[in-house]
Amino acid sequence: MNALNPRIRIIWVLRSLLGALILGGAATGIAVFRSVSLSIPAGLTALFVVLGVIHAILRYRNWGYVVNDDALYLERGVLTEVRTEVPLVRIQHVDSRRSAFERLVGLASTVVYTAGSRGADVTIPGLTPDDASDLRERLKGLAIDADGEDAV
Amino acid sequence: MKLAPLSVPYRALQKAGRLAITLVVLGSVGTGVGFGGALVVAGVAGAIALALVYEFAYYRRYEYTFTEDTFDIESGVLNRREREIPYGRVQNVDISRNVVQRLLGLSAIDIETAGGGSTEAAIRYVTADAATTIQDEIRRRKRGDDQQRRTAAEAADDTEGAAASGDSDETDNAATREFDEPDEELLFEISPSELALAGVLSFDPRVPGLLFALFTGSIPFVSPVVPEPAAVATTGLDPTLVLFVMGAVLLVGLVVLSWVVGAVSAVVNYWGFRLTRSETELRYERGLLQRYSGTIPFEKIQTVTISDNPLKRRAGYATLAVETAGYAPGQANERGSEAAVPIAGQDRIERLAEEIDGCEDGSFDRPPKRIRRRYLARYLITLAGVTGLLYAGSVVVDAAAGLPWYLPLAGIILAPIAAHYKWLHRGYRLEADHFVTRNGVWNRETKRVPYHRLQTVIDSRTLFQRRWRVATVIADTAGSLSLLGNDAAAVDIEIDDAVALRSELRDRLQASLADRRRQRAGGSAATRSAATPADDETAGDDGTTAADETTVDNETTAAADESSVANAEPAADDDHRNES
Repeated sequence: MNALNPRIRIIWVLRSLLGALILGGAATGIAVFRSVSLSIPAGLTALFVVLGVIHAILRYRNWGYVVNDDALYLERGVLTEVRTEVPLVRIQHVDSRRSAFERLVGLASTVVYTAGSRGADVTIPGLTPDDASDLRERLKGLAIDADGEDAV
Repeated sequence: MKLAPLSVPYRALQKAGRLAITLVVLGSVGTGVGFGGALVVAGVAGAIALALVYEFAYYRRYEYTFTEDTFDIESGVLNRREREIPYGRVQNVDISRNVVQRLLGLSAIDIETAGGGSTEAAIRYVTADAATTIQDEIRRRKRGDDQQRRTAAEAADDTEGAAASGDSDETDNAATREFDEPDEELLFEISPSELALAGVLSFDPRVPGLLFALFTGSIPFVSPVVPEPAAVATTGLDPTLVLFVMGAVLLVGLVVLSWVVGAVSAVVNYWGFRLTRSETELRYERGLLQRYSGTIPFEKIQTVTISDNPLKRRAGYATLAVETAGYAPGQANERGSEAAVPIAGQDRIERLAEEIDGCEDGSFDRPPKRIRRRYLARYLITLAGVTGLLYAGSVVVDAAAGLPWYLPLAGIILAPIAAHYKWLHRGYRLEADHFVTRNGVWNRETKRVPYHRLQTVIDSRTLFQRRWRVATVIADTAGSLSLLGNDAAAVDIEIDDAVALRSELRDRLQASLADRRRQRAGGSAATRSAATPADDETAGDDGTTAADETTVDNETTAAADESSVANAEPAADDDHRNES
């Protein structure tokens, strides 16, 4: 089982910080408007930040993926643990992409698409750009080798 | 080939009609500021004239052709587009005709492939004959296309057909009409009593929502009807009682109305429902006002769902739905599965399912018994929540003070029964070729997914499920109903079973794919050597994305062409693939 790059935690923490700040800002606005003490929104924001950090750490700990001979297998999730098997035959196409946050810490993600309806796209975040392209190439190669059947 | 000439005035009137409505609305609003009636009439006339001109140009530009391996459409007045759809990728071909179209002898055709969010080819409109020709022609060419991929078993079943198709391959353009008419076997025809029953058992749950949306805007209209407490007091009745009775009457009225609407729409929809099968596909026909007919190739069937509820079970009836990947979820038509048999005797449904897909009997592996306690707890918590809310409401809102907030507590008696049935109906089983799951307390759904249709296998455990040491295994397919969370799922099975099931499903998928590949290789070698180059061709399809099953040549915007929405995505996906 491959773990993600530890730096992904920075992204997740940053994201939850952003969320906490927005929520905190809204709460502060309400508090000012109703002239309640500011300690409530401050406490809320702090709580969100702490929860976000814990969630990011747990999420990192629970994330894992591995490319088997015939399937891509992923494990993830904090509250709901999800394990997904994507048969290589079913891979339609593979993307690697880098969001602004990801570029900030020098990471990339690989997205695997299938024709399915629920697990139609599976994202593996927290890869170095090289790893992401390697994974994309490898999955593409394996998918082509494994095929021989209409993917739908 | 061209569209039907009559489609020009029909389309023009359709378009102008929409414009006219807008103008009339504008006119009625604008009369205050001196926006005259004459102007509106002139506007409507102008709109019709404009639409006629545009539609004539559209008609002139629109052309569809059958090439050797693709169905091509050239269209567009301002933005031109050429679209090619490989026959092998076609999922469904549907024809629909409403009353006016039937009078004019027009038909609308929708050709679906698995990719994209909308119908890939919506031809508006051709003559009724041309529509049938298109359907038959696509079927015939698809068969020719599939011939090379045919499994050995099927090929052996039908050596004559293979030979005939081999001939027609060589003389591909000399389309022989005799070959077009395959033997059609009637699978199902709805009887009047079944139609009536389907109507009776249809309850349209959308109606209350619709009425609610309609009437929330008109509360002021309703409130005068609600009697003033003072006025009621003079009659010596309890005002809250009156309010309560009125509410009850309203509720009953709503239920009756939803039921009537459901019944009428079911009867109109399934009027004259017929399901036939030819060698390679299912064909359905239905509809009273708007007539639908279409084809579903067996090769493209993803899931077969049989559903029933205690009422239907008691009367020995069930419902069957066949799912393909063709219909994009959220598409304008919410008809869902086209080949749904609304209602028929249980044994008939089972025989049908067997005809379509090959059925096996067997018992289901149920979730562990302890899970019933979880369901019971869940129901009780929900009931407690609802009761709590009602109680809070009755305390806060004065008018609701006398309402019986404790009423939902009556559900406590039902909760254990529901919990038991939830457990009883849940289950899964692994058949030789299918993964079968069953779920639902009231409406019990049995889903059959062939192993070779599995896409991803998802095993998930929520926090609560982990406490109970259970997991859910979802077998995702490329079906269309699935987006509503209707995938085949084995819910709340032991964690060890879930892990085993997951790897079992993966293995069976690989095995069944390998099997099909072998059969295909054997089949094509046995049929004739000429199939080999064609096989190479199909091998070239490998890695084709679902989204680019149709090829759009020039990149266009949908602006000028309403009927066939431009799909820029395939081109984008192409880029991804080339780059990878």
